[in-house]
Amino acid sequence: MGISATIYNTIFKRTSTMALAVIGSAFFFERTFDLGTDYFFDRHNEGKLWKHIKGRYQ
Amino acid sequence: MKPANVSSYLRSVSQVVSNQLNTGKQIAILPTKPTVHIPFTGTSPYVLSRALPNGNVSITSGPAVSCQVRWAHTDITVPDWSHYRKDSTKSPTSKAADSEDSRRNFAYLMVGGLSVGTAYGAKTLVTQFVSSMSASADVLAMAKIEIKLAEIPEGKSVTFKWRGKPLFIRHRTQSEIQAEQTVAVASLRDPQHDNERVQHPEWLVVLGVCTHLGCVPIANAGDFGGYYCPCHGSHYDASGRIRKGPAPLNLEVPQHSFVNEGLLVVG
Repeated sequence: MGISATIYNTIFKRTSTMALAVIGSAFFFERTFDLGTDYFFDRHNEGKLWKHIKGRYQ
Repeated sequence: MKPANVSSYLRSVSQVVSNQLNTGKQIAILPTKPTVHIPFTGTSPYVLSRALPNGNVSITSGPAVSCQVRWAHTDITVPDWSHYRKDSTKSPTSKAADSEDSRRNFAYLMVGGLSVGTAYGAKTLVTQFVSSMSASADVLAMAKIEIKLAEIPEGKSVTFKWRGKPLFIRHRTQSEIQAEQTVAVASLRDPQHDNERVQHPEWLVVLGVCTHLGCVPIANAGDFGGYYCPCHGSHYDASGRIRKGPAPLNLEVPQHSFVNEGLLVVG
C-alpha cells in the first residue's frame, strides 16, 4: 500500500474527512493568501502608501 | 443499371423503411420493359443489400447527373488523444488497479482545491457584507465621550449629550451614598441594589431618559432627592431608581469605565 493509497483511504474516501480537510486547509490558505496578496500590494505600491511616507511628516 | 432507375429504387426502399406495412405491394417500377417486380419479403440487411445498388456506382450520363452517392467517410483517421491521456493508462497492458489511487487522488485533489478556494471566497464575501452592517469608525469615535470628573463638584448632577441623549453624571455626597446603600431592595419597583448600578459610590452615571415616556427628568428634585420627571411625575432617587410615579424601570445605566482617577469614559 503506497502513499497515495494511504492518502485516499484517510482523507478522500469519506465525505466527512474530505470536508474536514477542505475546511482545515481553507483556514491556512486564507492566512497565506491574505498575507501573500498584502505583501505583493505593499511591494507593488512601494513609496506610495501612508505607512511608507509616514516618517517624512512625523 | 441505368442512372434514371436509381432514384426509383431508392424511393421504394425509403418507403419500405419508413412504412413497413404493405411491403409486398411496394414495387419499384422500371421504365424499361419488361416491368420488374421486386417483392420485398423483409427488411433484413441482406434483403436491403440485394435491393440497393452496391459496389462502385457511378453515373456518367443522363439528365440527373448531378446526383451523387456518398459513402461513409472511412478515410478520416481518429485523432491521437495520447497527449491528453495519463501515462499510467496509455499502455494497453497496464492494469487500471495499479494506478487507481494516484489517479483518484489527483481528481479529488482538484475537487478539494477548488472547494478550498470556494470556501475562502464565500467566507470573505460573507465577512464583507456582515462587517458593512457594523458601525463605521467615525460613528464608533462619536459613540464615546470622555468626562473630566474634577469639573463636577460634589452634590451636583451635570448633563452631557451622548449618542443624541442626555447623560447625567452625578457626584454624590456621602449622605446620599449612605441613604441609597441602606434602601431595602425588596421594597423597590425595579429591585436593584445601589452597588449594581454604580462602579464608584461617588459617581452615578445614568441616561437622562425617563423610562415612562422618555421625557428628561430634572436633577435634584422630587420626593427622593434624585431626579423628577415633570411630564407625569416619576420620582427617582439619587441612584436613578424609580420610587414613585408611573415609570416602570430604573434609569438606564450605560456602559462606562473609569480610565484613571480623573477621567470617565462612557460608551
